[in-house]
Amino acid sequence: MKKSNRMIAMTVFSGVLLLFLSLFFSLSIGAYTVPFSDLWGGLTGTSSTEAAEVIRTLRLPRALVAILIGAGLAVAGAIMQAMTNNPLASPQIFGVNAGGSLLVVIAVVLFPDFSPSEIVYFAFIGAALGGGLVFFAASSGGGMTPVKLALAGITIHMFLTSLIQSVVIFNETSTEDVLFWLAGGVDGTNWGDVQLLLVWVGIGLLIALMFSPSFTIMSLGEEVARGLGQRIALMRIVASLIVVLLAGAAVAVAGPIGFVGLIVPHIARKLVGTDYKIVLPVCALFGGILLSVADVLSRFIAFPAESPVGIVTALIGAPFFLYLAQRGGQAS
Amino acid sequence: MKTKSPFFIISVLIGTVIVTGLLSAGVGAVYVSPVAILSGEQSFLFMNFRLPRIVLALLVGAGLGISGAILQAVIRNPLASPDVIGITKGAGFAAAATIILFPSLPPVALPVAAFLGAGLVTVGLYLFAFRQKVQPATLALVGIALGAIFQAGIQFLTVRYPVETNAALVWLTGSLWGKDWSDIWMLLPWILVFFGIAMFLTKKMDLLQLGDDVAEGLGESVRGARILLLLVSVVLAGASVAIVGTLGFVGLIAPHIARQLVGNKHVVLLPASALTGMALLLVADGLGRGLFPPTEIPAGIITAVIGAPYFLYLLRRIQKT
Repeated sequence: MKKSNRMIAMTVFSGVLLLFLSLFFSLSIGAYTVPFSDLWGGLTGTSSTEAAEVIRTLRLPRALVAILIGAGLAVAGAIMQAMTNNPLASPQIFGVNAGGSLLVVIAVVLFPDFSPSEIVYFAFIGAALGGGLVFFAASSGGGMTPVKLALAGITIHMFLTSLIQSVVIFNETSTEDVLFWLAGGVDGTNWGDVQLLLVWVGIGLLIALMFSPSFTIMSLGEEVARGLGQRIALMRIVASLIVVLLAGAAVAVAGPIGFVGLIVPHIARKLVGTDYKIVLPVCALFGGILLSVADVLSRFIAFPAESPVGIVTALIGAPFFLYLAQRGGQAS
Repeated sequence: MKTKSPFFIISVLIGTVIVTGLLSAGVGAVYVSPVAILSGEQSFLFMNFRLPRIVLALLVGAGLGISGAILQAVIRNPLASPDVIGITKGAGFAAAATIILFPSLPPVALPVAAFLGAGLVTVGLYLFAFRQKVQPATLALVGIALGAIFQAGIQFLTVRYPVETNAALVWLTGSLWGKDWSDIWMLLPWILVFFGIAMFLTKKMDLLQLGDDVAEGLGESVRGARILLLLVSVVLAGASVAIVGTLGFVGLIAPHIARQLVGNKHVVLLPASALTGMALLLVADGLGRGLFPPTEIPAGIITAVIGAPYFLYLLRRIQKT
């Protein structure tokens, strides 16, 4: 379906507005409420009060991490849905999150001295392994129906999770931190994480945009795409690379955060149609909004203590999944 | 396909269960040889620590195996299991909430809560999947979504109350550790009664497997049968999980192994699934105790490590689902 340019412009405009709004809330709300004057002072570097310091060293990097991860996960989900023509495809159901988490946990236990910029490679490897395993499982023996993907994905997910649990059980010392990390959280992230994400998510988004016309064709189904001269094998490799970069970097920094990659592409397609040249940037925009709003909400669940943002996205996302499920996974 | 008679295979399965039971009884922090067990030496250790675990493994293995077999008939998808449609997650959430929020409650409260949690998921399944047309695919997907919601709940609890979490964590992986005869007496009637009911309903399962149209043509109320069978399946899985925790994969693979051995007739398939589940759990629990004594690996981790490769192998074998 084609959407009018007006609709697209409206969507992008309100999206940008919402992004700034959520950024503002993300910066000012929390265990420590920052007054507006300090907020401005902190951002511009003209104020050196304690509140301004909080903004500079804690809130701003955290807000940026949330936006970058949300953008990355949403685009990863959109690409997976386009490639598999399956409305339930997303980094979580494809085992990418769990696979990345497993290798990160192993890396943290085996090499406690590694910095996040080294850990991220483990996340990439794990994401690729997990995704490959689910793809292999779901597509063997005929086509990949939504139900088959979901059942295969959830089963592999359970397998990887119990491997993670065994690592945790054998390493009782860091149980608490690992558990918090495993629920997916962006608090305590710093400028180093922002830098890391800027590099990897940036590269991933760039490649995704470069290939966006091909994704539009792929979303019509493999048969049609082949008929139109698309090189399926090449596109699979490109898509896997993008997903591994985007989701792997997200897992390395914030742990497995679910449902962003599932919901946002559906919303984006509803709003702006199926041209992936537009869908992908809109996904990035709304993914960033969703995760930073979820991050703000996560500060209230157990106020003043922090809760992992992954819990909020699950509570928002699972009902949406329920809605898709009621339609037998046949939604647009 | 079947070359041997069902009775022969059932007898072989019973033999396997007895042998694995004896071997498993010997393994642990203190090794006891099967001969010593049979001759009555070490009877204190055996009666008080090893035997309850063996019996519990038998009950839970049977409960999960049958539950899975029923569910695969109801959803008509060989990949279905009590774990993936959210039943175990619901039970897990309720149990974690009980362990963490109300640590002063008597131990009896835990299985009751877990059971209620499983029931809650069933209500959800009913509300979201059964109100309209009872599509098997919808049922599976709704179950997965409900599971995700309860998973979020579990994560919230474990993160919010880190100190109390360790006890919950062992439960959440599924373990037969520290169980005694009182747990067995609590579980036994549920398994026996609902196994009986399930055996009574095997005709309905056979019919459902033929497809909705055929079943309806043969005079079966498909909707009614699905709901009834789902309930039986939930009770069996819920009761098992209530005692030992969220132990995965047994309900998924036991029915498959059984189906390969005895075929699709549920009169034979259900007992065969029960026996296979028993043997699986005995092996898993034995390995968990024996691999790194005195550290115990929860049986749930072993079943996952054994179960997942088998699951993959299974997917390649199933040509169409």
